[in-house]
Order: sequence, then C-alpha cells, then structure tokens
Amino acid sequence: MNNVYKPIDAEILEVIDETPTIKTFVLKPKENIGFATGQFMEVTVPGLGEAPFTPSSSPNVKDKLDFTIMSVGKVTEKLHGMTKGQIVGVRGPMGKGYPIDGWKGKEILIVGGGVGAAPLRSLFLALTERLDDFKKIVYCYGARTPADIVYKDQILDKWQKINPSKIEIRTTVDEGDASWKGNVGVVTTVVKNLGIDVKNSVGVVCGPPIMMKFGTFALVEQGYPDSAIHLSMEKNMSCGIGKCGHCMLGEYMVCHDGPVMTYDKVKDKPAIWD
Amino acid sequence: MQTHFITDSDLVTFFASLEKRGPMYMAVRDEKGTVGIKPYSEVGSYSYPGVRAFQPLKPFFFSALEEVAEYPSAEESLKEVRPFTIVGAAGCDLRAIEALDRVFLEGDFKDPFYEEKRSKALIIGFDCTDPLETCFCVLVGVEPYAEKGFDLSLAKVEGGYVIEVGSDKGKQVMDDNKGLFKPATENHLSQRKAMRDKTKDMVEKQSKEYKPPTTWQDLMSKVYEDNTWARNVETCVECGACLFTCPTCQCFLLYDQKAGDRFKRLKMWDSCAYKNFTRVAGGANPREGLIDRFRHRYYHKLDYFPKTYGFEGCTGCGRCIVACPGEIDMRKVLKEAGKS
Repeated sequence: MNNVYKPIDAEILEVIDETPTIKTFVLKPKENIGFATGQFMEVTVPGLGEAPFTPSSSPNVKDKLDFTIMSVGKVTEKLHGMTKGQIVGVRGPMGKGYPIDGWKGKEILIVGGGVGAAPLRSLFLALTERLDDFKKIVYCYGARTPADIVYKDQILDKWQKINPSKIEIRTTVDEGDASWKGNVGVVTTVVKNLGIDVKNSVGVVCGPPIMMKFGTFALVEQGYPDSAIHLSMEKNMSCGIGKCGHCMLGEYMVCHDGPVMTYDKVKDKPAIWD
Repeated sequence: MQTHFITDSDLVTFFASLEKRGPMYMAVRDEKGTVGIKPYSEVGSYSYPGVRAFQPLKPFFFSALEEVAEYPSAEESLKEVRPFTIVGAAGCDLRAIEALDRVFLEGDFKDPFYEEKRSKALIIGFDCTDPLETCFCVLVGVEPYAEKGFDLSLAKVEGGYVIEVGSDKGKQVMDDNKGLFKPATENHLSQRKAMRDKTKDMVEKQSKEYKPPTTWQDLMSKVYEDNTWARNVETCVECGACLFTCPTCQCFLLYDQKAGDRFKRLKMWDSCAYKNFTRVAGGANPREGLIDRFRHRYYHKLDYFPKTYGFEGCTGCGRCIVACPGEIDMRKVLKEAGKS
C-alpha cells in the first residue's frame, strides 16, 4: 500500500533569486516523480510542515523540479533561508492540470501576475516544446515594479525569440522606474487588441486574487466563453488528495477537482476570489 | 439477504467466539440510560442498546489523532491493523460509514490508514427501538434500522434476535459458528417488521414539522442569503463540538513535529468552524466570517455532499444538537430558512 501522506526526500540543487521576495528552488527528488503541467505538489520543510506549489519547470524534465516560491508565510519564510544541499520533502503530483492535449490548433492567451508566473512558466514551456500543435501563444504578464518581474531573462528576452511569429510576450508593471521602457499599468491594460480569434482560443489566468478576478473579467470582455477560461484556484490545499476539507469551494475540493478549473464551473461558488 | 434466528444465550456464545478474532466493542446502555461504546471485555454480556451510541463510530476508522508519516525516509507509519468487531451500529451509523467510505476510499487517492482499518472491521448493526427526541434520520433518507452497509445485523424479537447477513465477511463468521443459528420464521420476521414500522412512525411523527418543502438540495438552492444563518449563529462559540461529534465530518489537519532526530506527520481532526481553517499563507480567507463558516456546514451536508455523492452528508443522528453548548438545533435552523 502506498502511503500518500509520506513525503519523498528531495535535495536542493540550486537556489535562484528571482525578485526581492521570490526564489526558485531546483529540487532533485530521490525518485523521479512526473507531473502534468498545472498539477501541484506539497513541499515539506522538515519539522515545520507543508505548503502547496505548482512546479514551474517543464513537465518533460523528469529528474528535477523547479518551484518558484514567494516568502509569505511560515513555511515559505523558512524555505527562503534554506540553501543548496539541504533536504526538503515533496508529495504529489496532485489535482488536475491544464488540459493542453485538448488545445491542439488553438490560439492560447495566458494572463499572469506576480508569482502566478510559476505555474505559467511550466505551461509556457510545455506548450513551446510542442509548438507545432498550437497556432499562437500570447502571454500577458504583469508585475508590481520591474524588480518584481519573475524570470526576467526569459520573459523580457528569451521566450519571445523561441518563435517570433507564433509567440507574443507582453509585459507590464504597475509602477515603472528610470530604466523601464515598457508598458505601465495593471495587466488588464495589455489584454486588448490581442489579434486573436477568440472563437478558436482558450484563456489562462493565474496570479494574486485581485488580478485573477479582473483578469478573468478582461477575458470575458474580450469574448471568451466561461468554459474556455482556465483559472488556477488558490485555496488552502492541505492533504492534496480531496479529503481534508480545507480547500473546499462549493462542492469542489480544489486540490482534487482543480487547481486548474474553468470559470463556468466555479463562477457561482461562494467567495471564489477570496 | 439471509435471515436467521439466534437465542439470547447463543448470542453470548457467538460474541465470545467473535472476540477471538480481535478487539470487540459494543454499544451498551449505562445505568443512567445513556448508550455508549465500550470494550466488550468490560461488558461481558449483551443487552439491546435500542438507539445509537452517544459517540460516532468514525474514530474506529478515522482517528482523532494518528501518526501518518515519519521522515526523512524512515520506517513506514502505515501498519497492519488487527481484525476488530463493532457491535451496535444503528441505521444512521451505517449511513455515516457509507459516507466516509465514499470520501476516504474514492477519488484519485485512497486514504491508506482509513482503508486498512475499514477492511479489518466486522460491523454488526441493529434496529432502533427507542429513538431519542433529537433523532431525525427519516428526513435525510436513512431508516431507523439496519437497512444496508452492515456485515451482520440484529433485531430483538421474542426469545432472541433476528440476525441478517449483509456481506461475505458476515456470512463467514456465521458459518464458523454454524450450530448457533436457526432459520428465522415468518413470525420472527413479522415481529421485526412491526418493530421497524413502530420506530419509524415515532421518528416520523417527531420530525414532521422539520420536513423540507421539497428536497434539502432544493431548499439550500434558495436560502444562501437567508437570515437564519445570522440569527442562529448568535449562540455559537466556535467550539467545534457539532463537527467532532458528527459521524460524517471528514475534515482534518496535517501537522508536523520533531520526534528525536526525525520528524513526524500527524493527522488530526479539524473543524471548519475555526477561523483560520480556510486561510492561505498570503492572508486571503474565503470563510473569514463566522456566518460563512456556520452556513458552510449546512451546505456541505445538504448541498455539496449530495452533489458529489448522491445522498445527504447528514445522517439525522442528532449528535450535533445534543453536543451544542449554544443549543443550536440543526432542524430548527433549517426550518426557519426560507421563512425570513
């Protein structure tokens, strides 16, 4: 019998500073644990407990996992103090990820903000590694300031170059600085004039609660049907296996029925944006 | 299903044989009239309990506190459990076990600790004869007798008991004690039916005023913004007694702590009535208000659970009513819903 509560030991191979509050941890689990993009895992800080994160690496990389994590609570704060060579735990993968097999031939709009860039990086890599399957990818990403942009070298440079005719990266910041030449404004200010055929498109939204809400509304305004808008719901996912009740959203256990859920499924549930 | 008859004295012989399988627990009435679960070794005889025990049966399968993992890579916490027997599961208790089975044994992952204990249990149900004034099983599709979900069930009749087989496991333990059982007669079965009808009638009479206009789900679809939640939550002290005593409440917390030079992960009952139950590290809390949390319990039992599993997550056992220090009565809260 498999004990789903037991974490697998994982060594920290590398810690990358992304922003003043966000770091990427490259982990090597003792056993290879695959995942589908958008699925999540519980990361254990030994003795302190677990918190849920979606890997930010490509699902095609099997022996290592990247987790991009903001320091906001006690588990993440402790994790930020950990260094190369230390051991953490990993449990998963859990839940339902992005249904990218159903997106063949489609134009894909991704709207992200802040540390919501983490699952979106995994998604973006998964999509671009089989780019022939998709018609186009437009990725709109917003951060508070230029310093808060996660994956700067990728979002501001490398990703656009993968295929300039099929990929369009739009970046924006709430407040610019002297060096910032790009758009200033919340992410919804760049979710327009998309050059996308909405009828043949799916949308993805991931970010902090307020951005999720207005990002979703922006997609609705652009004509996306509710069933084509994929949200990464952030709830208190504790057991990760649909039992413990903490992440309940209406009749759904977000850890089991999500975390990626289409807007039509959740729009009428209580407190979806809180 | 097969029905047999066993005399009072043969039943005690049968229980003595079952006790050899492993630990045995029994619902018995104490001198004050309260029915509670006790180890059979402390009871030693059998008297018909008449109604469900004051405790739920869930701790037999879903412990209030248990170790579920030790790490880094250490000995496996998941251990084999000895077979055990529970004598005295009422209709509501059996429904509760069915509910927990669906929660813990279905979905992408099973809970291996629940599964191990559940697979080792022999469950003997019984028909209620003395419902409490807080019983309302008939309002949530549960019979006040052992309808299904048992390995064996007992019903008191003249001179002994009708014993019914509900599973292969139940049949096996009867086959192991063959000489003790006779076929049940028409007379035995009509006695059992008369008793069932009488008990059901009692529960129906006392529950009548609380019956929803159509179905619970239909009622719940109309009363989310009703004043009944705000009005009835006033005496709630957020103790969680209603939830811990609920036979179907499934919520738990995973909690890690140091144990020597390693770490242990504990799984313990949790309560959706507590303020930080749904809080995330970033600070967002979808059910920060007490009214939201109070209402959630009703919606989980009567709307969300049926949407997922097809039947109510409330068994009508009434334990939450008895346990509440604020005298909140689920039946009354729901009766007022839609009327304000």
